[in-house]
Amino acid sequence: MAVQPLCYRPNRIVNEYIVEPSAIPWRQGRVAGITFKCQVLLSGADGGPEALRFRFDPCASVFAHMHLTSQFQLLLQGRMDFPKSTMKLRGPAIHYTDHNFPYGPFAVADSHDMLVLHPKQGGLISMADRDARRQINLKARHLYGAAATAEWTLMTEFAGLRCKPLIPPAAGPCAVMLECPPLSRLNLPPTPYGRYEVVLSGSVSVSGRTLLPPGFRYVRDDSGVVSPLEAGPGGATLMLLAFDRDACEGGLTGEGLSVAAAAAMERAI
Amino acid sequence: MPNENATAPLPVVVFADFICPYSYIALDQMDDLLRDYNIELLWRPHWLHPEVPPSGAPIPAEAATDGRRAQTLAWLKEMAPERSAHMRFPDRIQFSLFAFEALEFAQDHGLALPFKTAVFESLWADGRDIAQFSTLQAAAAKVGLDSEELGRALSAQRYRKRVHDALQLARDAGVTKTPTFVLGRYRIAGWHYYEVFQTVMEKQNVLLRSALDNSSPPAER
Repeated sequence: MAVQPLCYRPNRIVNEYIVEPSAIPWRQGRVAGITFKCQVLLSGADGGPEALRFRFDPCASVFAHMHLTSQFQLLLQGRMDFPKSTMKLRGPAIHYTDHNFPYGPFAVADSHDMLVLHPKQGGLISMADRDARRQINLKARHLYGAAATAEWTLMTEFAGLRCKPLIPPAAGPCAVMLECPPLSRLNLPPTPYGRYEVVLSGSVSVSGRTLLPPGFRYVRDDSGVVSPLEAGPGGATLMLLAFDRDACEGGLTGEGLSVAAAAAMERAI
Repeated sequence: MPNENATAPLPVVVFADFICPYSYIALDQMDDLLRDYNIELLWRPHWLHPEVPPSGAPIPAEAATDGRRAQTLAWLKEMAPERSAHMRFPDRIQFSLFAFEALEFAQDHGLALPFKTAVFESLWADGRDIAQFSTLQAAAAKVGLDSEELGRALSAQRYRKRVHDALQLARDAGVTKTPTFVLGRYRIAGWHYYEVFQTVMEKQNVLLRSALDNSSPPAER
């Protein structure tokens, strides 16, 4: 079921994937009575990043589960309610977990639409699996933030550019919204562990391609050479999601729990 | 790092509030942990709603809907199917302070663990108001405490300062989630699976109770 990214340019210095979701078909999914639509945006089958888009039908309880890699959930619209009283996400919002960290159960509603973004294939493990619970990452970080509760800050070094940190860089992995004026050029810093750059509104040109919401680029570089982004004539709002060293942990190793995780993800999507 | 004195029980502290449903469903896990491992278990207060008066307060409108209640019940059913099957949700946010004071009384009489269970069950299984002295006295009588003496202690606020000190201890310890478990060198914020607690025990080389000469759980300290 490997789906190749629309643009894959492996390079010794930079790995860059550019994805336009509008060109990718939707699938119908059903797991444990939960129904959803799904797009496989990046399969990760080439050893690169794995990106999925889900639209869950309204559901009071999506079962608790974990993935064997770091994950950003970017809630584009709708709502996701978690048991924690302060964790009632309304899009746009972000939810990050380190590898092997369970989350949920959670409720979804209101035209839910979400990107699930991994630095590599992460599989799927239901927490009903008692053996899997013994492999929960005890030191994992669990971070979240919502656009509605963060403040815009003017970036003085870039004319007209504003940013809104949903998960500040000090946390390790970070999630930052950027509002770019029309035709502004954005040279982003190096990203040794990988970064998703998702268009939330407006348009962006990158490497000769134009991206509309929720198109994105995933980039990982070791040298600092990353092609710039350029906002379209109407400007753009972006969500930058950068992994840290946890992105190097876990993954589908072909052994133990990862075999079941890979099979479960295959069944789900 | 191994537990340097493997025969000494590992201190396990649960910071919780009686009005928290996730603390309620942690009861069985902690009882199982005490049954299975060489630990010393202590429940300490973490007051979720100090702003609520003794008469209670309305549940916020957004949390009082049928949909939200069904959602919470569905989550609890996944987390703790047996406990959740008998849960009754209160129609107001209850006042916890008197119950915390009563817990101190129970601790002084060596019955804090069964008493805290009785208080939780009064609220979550029987649907009673734990701000009422009569509820706490009934829970006390159920576990063999002197309910009349408890009533006098509550009226005289005999344990009020001790509770405030305990609440300050929770704040000083940085407790923000309920329940929060401190298991030796590990801290787990929020409800978690029993298997996670088992892993934490093993990482600290905590002995199974079956491996000790005297395999019954210890009396309370």
